[in-house]
Amino acid sequence: MKIHKKILTHYLSCTSPVDKEGYLYKMKERTATYHRRWFVLKGNVLFYQERPADRHLLGVVVLEGCAVRRCEADGGAGPPCCFSLVSRAPGLRAYRFAAEDRLTQEGWVRALLSASHRYLALLVGDLGRQYEEAKREQARVEDGSSAASGSADGGNQHQYHQNPHQHQHQHHQYQQQSVVRPRPGSLLTVEAAKPDVREERSFSAGHEAQGTPTFPARAAHKKPPKHWARRNAHVTPLNGPAPPYGEWPSVGLDPLESFAKVHEHYGEEVLRVREAWLRRRKKQQEEEEEEEVEEHGDKDLMDFM
Amino acid sequence: MRFNEKELVSLSRQPSERAAEMGMKGPKKGDVVKKRLVKLVVNFLFYFRTDEEEPIGALLLEQCRVERESSHVFSIAFLDEAEKRYIFECDTEDQCGQWIDSIIKASYEFMRKNLIFYRTEIHRLTGKDPLEQYGISDETRFQVSSGLQLMPKDTSSM
Repeated sequence: MKIHKKILTHYLSCTSPVDKEGYLYKMKERTATYHRRWFVLKGNVLFYQERPADRHLLGVVVLEGCAVRRCEADGGAGPPCCFSLVSRAPGLRAYRFAAEDRLTQEGWVRALLSASHRYLALLVGDLGRQYEEAKREQARVEDGSSAASGSADGGNQHQYHQNPHQHQHQHHQYQQQSVVRPRPGSLLTVEAAKPDVREERSFSAGHEAQGTPTFPARAAHKKPPKHWARRNAHVTPLNGPAPPYGEWPSVGLDPLESFAKVHEHYGEEVLRVREAWLRRRKKQQEEEEEEEVEEHGDKDLMDFM
Repeated sequence: MRFNEKELVSLSRQPSERAAEMGMKGPKKGDVVKKRLVKLVVNFLFYFRTDEEEPIGALLLEQCRVERESSHVFSIAFLDEAEKRYIFECDTEDQCGQWIDSIIKASYEFMRKNLIFYRTEIHRLTGKDPLEQYGISDETRFQVSSGLQLMPKDTSSM
């Protein structure tokens, strides 16, 4: 089978983010000797060459369907600080590496563990749903607060009566949120794609609020999505049994099949969300013409660092 | 250049996002349209001779530009060489649109940008970093600065 080398070298040399790079020792199968190579991890592809500045790419390893193993698991055989990439499919080779020290080894193991496309797809799907949920919650809170303030002047008796009911109704409107939580062990292998589906109440404690918005004032500019309906299919009683979350693939299905469904499902959402976000961003940029876009973004995200 | 061919071939056999027979033409002068089974798996486009087990080749769908050439035809250009395109002829207009969509969304970089967007937004809306629960908040690949150009300057994958 032919792999189009130019496309790979182009990907390597372009401006997309490098996820990790550095020297590692790679074992040569035939001679069982270790050779120092410069590795660059981008996305789900691991590139290697002799030196960083080299034009000549020695090889690539596509990181799908393989697990990362620390060599301690093999009973201490091989050099210290070594690890390997083992393919899930039987009979396929393992790539053996050794790092200079523990820190380097750990860094690479972690980076390779989260490198697969499938893993990223599951994450994006999960976060996509959390995002939709967060937006719905915000809209709900906003609606609640505006309803409460609307009756403050006590003009319309009928209206005033309705509001407490609305609030109470809101307390019971907990959205069941299925969160994909990979099992603790599963995060440690690249091949893991069987998420445990656990149903959780979303934002339970914080949102029994009496309509006081807990979100920054800036968020108030956002309008609730037009399709949001107070009564929707996902509403369940507070103490009722968790209904099967129809959209999420259940445990036990072929993880690859699940991924395909998840990917397809959120692909559409992602595109819509992204378009809306791009529009808002553009508007924001027009408003903040003096301010550097990146700087602005960084200020908001100090907590990450 | 070495690559893990067996693993890639194994990957090509796995359930795919999208697979169909279509007319495919290479980017070089003199390339003609040939009937191929085209299969999209993760961010690779594999193409087979119909009824063959092993793909002829694999195209990595990163840093590429997908465009609609006509109602039934789309193209993929790599390497910023807009003139050199792979041409794909679909059966229907719908199919053509679906393929374009799928290929764009298959790119790892596209997904990374979305992840960072969601992470940022969820944090803004809830005050929480959604990646903390997975213990991966510090991974370079998920950092906001990684996916810079939130207003994508390189629209090559769009």
